Amino acid sequence: MPSSPLRVAVVCSSNQNRSMEAHNILSKRGFSVRSFGTGTHVKLPGPAPDKPNVYDFKTTYDQMYNDLLRKDKELYTQNGILHMLDRNKRIKPRPERFQNCKDIFDLILTCEERVYDQVVEDLNSREQETCQPVHVINVDIQDNHEEATLGAFLICELCQCIQHTEDMENEIDELLQEFEEKSGRTFLHTVCFY
Amino acid sequence: GAYGSGGMWTRGSIGPWTAWGVVDLLNQAALISNDSKINILKQVSGETLGARFQAKRFFILGPPGALTPRAASQWMVKSKVISELQEACWEMVSAMASDIILLLDSDNDGIRTHAIKFVEGLIITLSPRMPDSDVPKRHENDISLERIPKDHPYIKYNVLWEEGKAALEQLLKFMVHPAISSINLTAALGSLATIARQRPMFMAEVIQAYETLHANLPPTLAKSQVSSVRKNLKLHLLSVLRHPSSGDFQPQITTLLVDLGTQQAEIARSMPNPRDVRKRPR
Repeated sequence: MPSSPLRVAVVCSSNQNRSMEAHNILSKRGFSVRSFGTGTHVKLPGPAPDKPNVYDFKTTYDQMYNDLLRKDKELYTQNGILHMLDRNKRIKPRPERFQNCKDIFDLILTCEERVYDQVVEDLNSREQETCQPVHVINVDIQDNHEEATLGAFLICELCQCIQHTEDMENEIDELLQEFEEKSGRTFLHTVCFY
Repeated sequence: GAYGSGGMWTRGSIGPWTAWGVVDLLNQAALISNDSKINILKQVSGETLGARFQAKRFFILGPPGALTPRAASQWMVKSKVISELQEACWEMVSAMASDIILLLDSDNDGIRTHAIKFVEGLIITLSPRMPDSDVPKRHENDISLERIPKDHPYIKYNVLWEEGKAALEQLLKFMVHPAISSINLTAALGSLATIARQRPMFMAEVIQAYETLHANLPPTLAKSQVSSVRKNLKLHLLSVLRHPSSGDFQPQITTLLVDLGTQQAEIARSMPNPRDVRKRPR
């Protein structure tokens, strides 16, 4: 087992639902975890599919909470958004954009293919300073509350398996194959370098 | 021993070899007696080579500027008079470099990944920077072949150039191994893109390798790994296409990109700006 905990990042589009659900579980299980979104803006469901609530990444979860409370308390209570924002603000103050974070991770988990593409593209566009590898793995998760919960457990199990390998870089390819068979899902996987 | 015995080695820390590099050690060695020098040298080679299978991240990890052949040549080129010590060090560093190339055949997949990155750095150091080379800002002052005086008393330009080309051969050979793992394949694809952008004289070899790979994906890859590798190939083809020297290879690159499902609009967006191409001296 590695001598120190894996540095994990979980990334979705808006850093609200899927990445925060996983962030929550992973930090409870003792991982050193951070979460991000790759979108240009933070989007939350609005009164209609074509009327999302759009914020920038500087807005705090608390400010969004108060904004939606004021706009339509009943709607945002009933669809669970206020509950989610309340959970999020207990984890950290505001959403964070992946492309603005220069910290180093061992493992980055993304929640959909488009986010995976954006993460890999961003890592490849950075000037390489070390030969330190980071493994990027995509686990497709639909953007709703139930799927986010299931997806977060799957991500957590995957991280625990990787954390418990004796030699992560030697075993990760095979481990992911076993995990695919076990879960019936497929994962995109690549290695980038910082 | 004091160096590289692995006890203090933790995830993400920078290994002893990159932290201060061989050059620093040698500078220290220069201040002490000849007997001690020999001992230190023995320690250097013995410990690193002996410990290589345990200390898997080895001294490959860390800022490429500290990669030993690069650091060692910097030191050699700066000195006007080459001492016996420097000669001995040069021999040692060269021996270590060939030793690490051999690690492309290691049984450990992770060590192979690091060996790929090391060979990438070696190829870039052992080949001349061209006017159209991409130069990462951090590495503007790095040593590479064109800075080595042709009349240097000890370092032979042509010999090193041949070694650089041979290292690329090794990497290309490694890539066509039928049982290569998907993760090493993606690492190698990325290294080739870096090599093509920083050393455009190798662009033909790189595009050829991409074409060969695309036509013969290793049969051992699972379906999801095939998707990951294809995605990677597309990303790196677009990055090579954006290079101002991609001109002669655009038809081949475009064909590959289309085969990989890339939209025409995306290909068009990645075509190099004609102004950049003209601006660069040939």
